[in-house]
Amino acid sequence: MGLFNGKKKPKDDWSTMSTVVKTEAKLQSLGEITPSRRAGVIYRNNEENAFQSNLKSELNDVLYMGEGATKTAFEIEDDDRGMRWVVLEDGNFGDLVSSVYTVGNAIGMNGGADNLLAAVFELYFTGTVEDNTYRSGLRTYWIYRYDRKAFYPFVPTGDSEGERDRPTEARLGQDLRKHGLAIEKSLTEWMGLWGIPF
Amino acid sequence: MTSTTTRKFHKDRGIVTRMYFTMFMLGFLYAVFALFLMAAGMELMFVGGIVGIMVVVQYYMSDKLILMSTGAKTVTAEEQPTLHRMVKELAARYDMPMPKVAVIDTAIPNAFATGRNPKNALVAVTTGIQQRLNERELQAVIGHELAHVANRDMRVLAIANFLVTVTSFLMTMLFWNMLFGGMGGRRNNNGGGVMMVYLVTMIVYFIGQLLVLALTRYREYGADHTGAEISGDPGALADALEKISGTVANIPDKDLRKLQTASAFLIIPAALKGEGSMNLFSTHPPLHERVKRLRELEQRMRYGLR
Repeated sequence: MGLFNGKKKPKDDWSTMSTVVKTEAKLQSLGEITPSRRAGVIYRNNEENAFQSNLKSELNDVLYMGEGATKTAFEIEDDDRGMRWVVLEDGNFGDLVSSVYTVGNAIGMNGGADNLLAAVFELYFTGTVEDNTYRSGLRTYWIYRYDRKAFYPFVPTGDSEGERDRPTEARLGQDLRKHGLAIEKSLTEWMGLWGIPF
Repeated sequence: MTSTTTRKFHKDRGIVTRMYFTMFMLGFLYAVFALFLMAAGMELMFVGGIVGIMVVVQYYMSDKLILMSTGAKTVTAEEQPTLHRMVKELAARYDMPMPKVAVIDTAIPNAFATGRNPKNALVAVTTGIQQRLNERELQAVIGHELAHVANRDMRVLAIANFLVTVTSFLMTMLFWNMLFGGMGGRRNNNGGGVMMVYLVTMIVYFIGQLLVLALTRYREYGADHTGAEISGDPGALADALEKISGTVANIPDKDLRKLQTASAFLIIPAALKGEGSMNLFSTHPPLHERVKRLRELEQRMRYGLR
């Protein structure tokens, strides 16, 4: 929209997004995190886009039909800041990640690449990672920004803009990077998403 | 002890030249814009008056505004003896009166200075920066902030921001005027004319904004330079900046959903955001560029080159 945004089109999100599977598996085997069953894709809805205006049945096709369909449950929700969320639920984390990728990819491939904001995963911490102790049961979100093709942790402490636990996020970012997650290098890009609907 | 002649700071010629050029361009832009508005029949006095009041209030109240908006608390020499001693020694080196000293209780490392002249100056540091930096680095940071005061940067910026504030104010007014057609103006039957004024205002706003950014950049480099001259240790500030960048302070307050929605008339003018202070981590110029220049200066000083 702006004069100066040289935004890149997402070409290969899978190679970066899939790092989350390895990191999650490793940390879970160490007994340090529990993934929740939920994740979401947030995008700026464009009713003039045929795929987006017919999202529910399109996603039914994408997620339920054909070979290797993950059959992940999904819901579509609008938030109070004018964005649309596809909230996905699956007990198998690997399937959840593939479904998130599939949804983002389907929106992107059907003329919505510039509408995609982020994919968000929800994970709970249960103890110590590296030398850092995290409060047991700490809820964290791992945000994947489509325009940056990278993750960063998000630990909100409230629903209003700016309420976040920065020191924990910074430590978590380092720990997750050590465990293979593609972490956004520039901290100034770690923008929050307050009021995540799941 | 040196003699009591007024202190002359060694200045970076290129920066000073570019800075005066920028200020000249700003002045030129002011004049052309004022002429244009008068030709277009705008009520200059009205707009100028309102914005003038805002700017004056901000200018004279900046230290109090900053104290209120950041939760900074002024501290006495008894409460913070080390910090006070540091500020006092540095202020003496700049030949300026002792500024007010304040501390902000937050883990986010930062520092700033404000005040329209050295007599009304205030220097504030966060508890986060006090914990993270050693004495040499903290001294460099405070030296940098006092350099802003000594160079009267708050005044320069207040004047520079005036135009940007006027234009953004006008843009908002004109925008609503175009939407509803009837607000306050006597000459609003001329839709095309209003549109024209709006467009020119927008152009002036953007050019003004760019010039102000350039000016901030030069003042920032200038303060780095002056601070280094005073301390004789440019590496200390570079160390401090490097230590703090890449840490918690850079994690933004901003929501991702706001990334692409900002449009011209939503931009809050700098003067209204209470940016009447010189923040250690303003985004312009980029930190790595400042560090690079400081390192170069360090080399030059070490080998006695100028």
